[in-house]
Amino acid sequence: MASQTDAVRATYRMARPGPLATLKGTVRDVLSRRRLIQYLVRADLKKHGADTLLGNVWWILDPLLTMLVYVILIAIILRSNREAYPLFIFCAILPWKWFSSTIGAAVTGITTRELIIKQVNFPKIVLPIAITVGGVVSFVFGLVPLLAMLVFIYPSHLSVWLLALPIVAAVQFVLTLALAILASALTVFYRDIGNLAGHLLRLWFYLSPALYGTDQLDKIAKESPSLFSIYELNPFAAVFESYRNLIYYGQAPTWNLLGLVLLESLVLLVVAVLVFRRLEPSFAKIL
Amino acid sequence: MLPAIDVRTLGIRYNLRLTRRNTVNVTFRNLARRRRGPTHFWALRDVTFHVDHGESLAVIGPNGAGKSTLLQVLAGILEPSEGVIAVNGRISSLLTLGAGFDTDLSGRDNILLAGAFMGMDHGEMQGRMGEIIEFADLGQFIDAPIKTYSAGMNARLGFSIATAVQPDVLLLDEVIGTGDATFKSKSRQRVVELMGAAKAIVLVTHDMSWVLDFCNRAILLERGNAVAAGDPTTVVALHEERSAMRRTGGIPDLLPPLDGSGFR
Repeated sequence: MASQTDAVRATYRMARPGPLATLKGTVRDVLSRRRLIQYLVRADLKKHGADTLLGNVWWILDPLLTMLVYVILIAIILRSNREAYPLFIFCAILPWKWFSSTIGAAVTGITTRELIIKQVNFPKIVLPIAITVGGVVSFVFGLVPLLAMLVFIYPSHLSVWLLALPIVAAVQFVLTLALAILASALTVFYRDIGNLAGHLLRLWFYLSPALYGTDQLDKIAKESPSLFSIYELNPFAAVFESYRNLIYYGQAPTWNLLGLVLLESLVLLVVAVLVFRRLEPSFAKIL
Repeated sequence: MLPAIDVRTLGIRYNLRLTRRNTVNVTFRNLARRRRGPTHFWALRDVTFHVDHGESLAVIGPNGAGKSTLLQVLAGILEPSEGVIAVNGRISSLLTLGAGFDTDLSGRDNILLAGAFMGMDHGEMQGRMGEIIEFADLGQFIDAPIKTYSAGMNARLGFSIATAVQPDVLLLDEVIGTGDATFKSKSRQRVVELMGAAKAIVLVTHDMSWVLDFCNRAILLERGNAVAAGDPTTVVALHEERSAMRRTGGIPDLLPPLDGSGFR
């Protein structure tokens, strides 16, 4: 009797699409839900502006205040004597704000949408995508104080290389998107990631050349070259150095390094999408 | 012609280890306690049925029988762990009501957001905006954030968004009892209209008068199995007999699951 039922059960099975079909399907889903992504981004921006007294002005103030904290700590207390130090760290603080706030939001991006996920069938991947796209807007707002600083305080650092900023930002976008997709899906299964994310992000920030330059790591590079090459594997080492080349040094970025980061990010993005799609069917059950 | 809904040997399995607030801590404890107690739970198993165009099927059964799970599968929210389902045509699901898509946004923004989540065309949603607002009867509150709404207002907005789409296959889950008396009669009328227009309906309810008045077939779910199917009068009678027995503290005999072949 049991074997007979098993035979009947075995007759009907849903086919699982292969990796290539999954990727294609995801692209199609996302394109067909452009409008949903647009609404989600706009809703997010609207909320940011509505909650606080100063509203969207915080996008400009936030990176400036973070910069001020580090300037006080490092330039005044620790007596760093790098020229135009505020500009030097702002090149890293601005993109990092974008990255860390995006990952911070992505970690809870799926879990806070529990109700909708249980009511409506839609491609859940639009949630981390909308969060990442929304982050771009705050980054763009942060460019306002950057430009103001360059024009009014440090005009000698101004160069045409500034125009290449979107290229570096595009590389960072791919990297951020991949990690946001991965983080949002995994948090559904392990809520600890939400608690852990803040600490990991802070560690990552200090391990990246944000408050210091790679040139200050000469000692490490000479004494243990292997440790230094591990250090260079950090994609944010290349990303921060690229921003700094464009904004602070007024020169071309290291294209090879930047290209490598782009390649790694694209591979990571493919992996992230496949992992996400594999886990997606369980979201409604686990939430 | 293809049936509107075709379900064969459907099974939905929940992994008890994964459900609910999983942390690394719990995972490690589970690894240590491997193979103790049940690890899986079948919310539905071996369910086979189909709904033709023009039919309306009632799904009845005691609490926890898997009725809502079945609707979630039909709506595409859950994927079958076993078996196959096919739904032909546009689906609208009125699963748990209450708009609450984003409580910080206004009613108007929520209508657009809800439409986008359901995959509706932007122009179509814009076109129905007036109708939705009018039916929900929210007045000026439509431009206030949803978090300021009362529970009744929320339910009205949810109902009017969900019923604004014109579906081929309509899934209804206990939606009939929302709001005050006025809205109740208004929504009952709307549901009757939709049922008239839809090509196929699946209705989950505890209100047997709906089953007898509007459905031409019924299935009885118990413990995740379809145990009876056919004419609504017969199935409802069986269900009421068994419910009466449960109310008086009796435990009715387990009915054997239907196998697919016996089902029309």
